Amino acid sequence: MFFHIVLERNMQLHPRHFGRNLRENLVSKLMKDVEGTCSGRHGFVVAITGIENVGKGLIRDGTGFVTFPVKYQCVVFRPFKGEILEAAVTMVNKMGFFAEAGPVQIFVSNHLIPDDMEFQSGDMPNYTTSDGSVKIQKDSEVRLKIIGTRVDATEIFCIGTIKDDFLGVINDPTTA
Amino acid sequence: MSFATDSPVHSSSSDDFAALIDAELEVGSSGSSPDDRGNEEKEVDDDNDDDDEEDEDDGDGDLNDHGNKRCKTEKLEDQEEPQGSTSQGLIEEKLEVSLKDICTHPGSFGQMCILCGQRVDDESGVTFGYIHKGLRLGNDEIVRLRSTDMKNLLRHKKLYLVLDLDHTLLNSTQLSHLTSEEEYLKGQSDSLQDVSKGSLFMLEFMHMMTKLRPFVRTFLKEASEMFEMYIYTMGDRPYALEMAKLLDPKKEYFSGRVISRDDGTQKHQKGLDVVLGQESAVVILDDTENAWTKHKDNLILMERYHFFASSCRQFGFNCKSLSQLKSDESEPDGALASVLKVLQQVHHIFFDELDSDLASRDVRQVLKTVRKEVLKDCKLVFSRVFPTKFQAENHLLWKMAQQLGATCTTETNSSVTHVVSMDAGTEKSRWAVKEGKFLVHPQWIEAANFLWQKHPEEKFPVSQTKNQ
Ligand SMILES: [Zn+2]
Repeated sequence: MFFHIVLERNMQLHPRHFGRNLRENLVSKLMKDVEGTCSGRHGFVVAITGIENVGKGLIRDGTGFVTFPVKYQCVVFRPFKGEILEAAVTMVNKMGFFAEAGPVQIFVSNHLIPDDMEFQSGDMPNYTTSDGSVKIQKDSEVRLKIIGTRVDATEIFCIGTIKDDFLGVINDPTTA
Repeated sequence: MSFATDSPVHSSSSDDFAALIDAELEVGSSGSSPDDRGNEEKEVDDDNDDDDEEDEDDGDGDLNDHGNKRCKTEKLEDQEEPQGSTSQGLIEEKLEVSLKDICTHPGSFGQMCILCGQRVDDESGVTFGYIHKGLRLGNDEIVRLRSTDMKNLLRHKKLYLVLDLDHTLLNSTQLSHLTSEEEYLKGQSDSLQDVSKGSLFMLEFMHMMTKLRPFVRTFLKEASEMFEMYIYTMGDRPYALEMAKLLDPKKEYFSGRVISRDDGTQKHQKGLDVVLGQESAVVILDDTENAWTKHKDNLILMERYHFFASSCRQFGFNCKSLSQLKSDESEPDGALASVLKVLQQVHHIFFDELDSDLASRDVRQVLKTVRKEVLKDCKLVFSRVFPTKFQAENHLLWKMAQQLGATCTTETNSSVTHVVSMDAGTEKSRWAVKEGKFLVHPQWIEAANFLWQKHPEEKFPVSQTKNQ
């Protein structure tokens, strides 16, 4: 799920960045530092959309660095248990399949793939229904339900299931 | 139930905070399921960039919670600062009695159960890092997967084949170990743009040169029809993947089944525990018998491929290497061509000749049978091969000959077909010549053992020793 939230961060800036472009320098450093990172609480920071407020700088003893409290708006992405996500399949094997939704890595074990889908090995391993009408393979897009999440410094891991109504393949790369 | 607490201590990292929340939960949840987690929320928190592994177990209600929270200001900090903070822990308890509580947790991904999604910190089972980072399976799950996979594979008339890299499928050397006689190779290496045609590669970014064994491309193509193939090397993971790229540029043979020493479960040992195949259906090709102490019966021992001089030196050979002689192993009659014939035979016997139930067949038995065919009908007498007081039956060559189907005796008689000797001057050797029996060097047995075929006896003559 995406959220538009306001976060605050204390930015430390080297004195060489002071002057007319101070604000610009602050913002570009903020983007570099924050975009693409994960935090356990907020999830993955997709993009900074605006600066709310830059507080008063505080000169730090000894170094000359200045710390600015910056409030910024950003879009974050964070999967939740129970959430339905669409994801692209990255790898299929006998244990199940792995899929990605942005930075989120999802594993769907073969326990949580409908029983009528069976694993087929070969150059392009896949799970296929007995009548061959539905096939999950690399690059398939699937709709799945998250049953567990764990957020790490740079990655988000999820356990997913497609063993429920309205879940499963939403597009098949072979017929697309 | 819900309650709020004031943080008693200043927490400078989110890990501390997470620990605090956990501690609160322990108190709050006594008497109920320890797996229930609450939602936490706070106005201002100190959060480092590198906070990791924060446990989350949000219930459905949490979605709404977060919706309301979305405009809340939270504070992230670059630095640790001596600044007080007040944390508010709002803890909700949900009593969930569901499948979760009876889940056996068959395996985990990112430390969450692959079946119920619950956090599991269990370190038992086997990690499958070569398949995906963070994947671990319990022993029961491995057994289950092996048996379903086995059925699937047998239906496709396939078995498993585990292939070693170095000295079996290829030979690699450090560029710095090339001798002056081998410098010419640098000018002969094949393009890395399209590796599918080449056999000699200079991998400058790894400071290495690699020579594929003659016949390896045909071998892989043919073997992939009969086997699901794994690479299993004592090399490290980057090396293994680089070699897999050379051998299988289109990723049609190994498809993620590349196991390196980083993935094994025991040091200096290769094990089938990380191979998701039933042991009764696995054939291994490797030049190092000692790496497979637990799976000797699955192993076809390969004659080592030494192309580079450094490889010969490493194994204590003083002779010129193939590269120095500007020569190579034979393509049609080399080790890989011979072993392919053996594999075809094994596959044929397993699927087409045995009449027992498919699932009860054992490829290890088939290997034994095929091996016994090699020197079938040969009756051997050894002469001056073993030390005089040595128990002949315990000698490696004696056992090897027996495994190859030969009968070994200590006495000459008319039924003997071969005299194996190092010296043409011994009594038994002279007897062989007089009686018209084959007189062969012990290497004749070793060659048969490697190539799984009887070689022409005249290629292994026995010379007179000097004191003759
Ligand atoms: Zn579980």
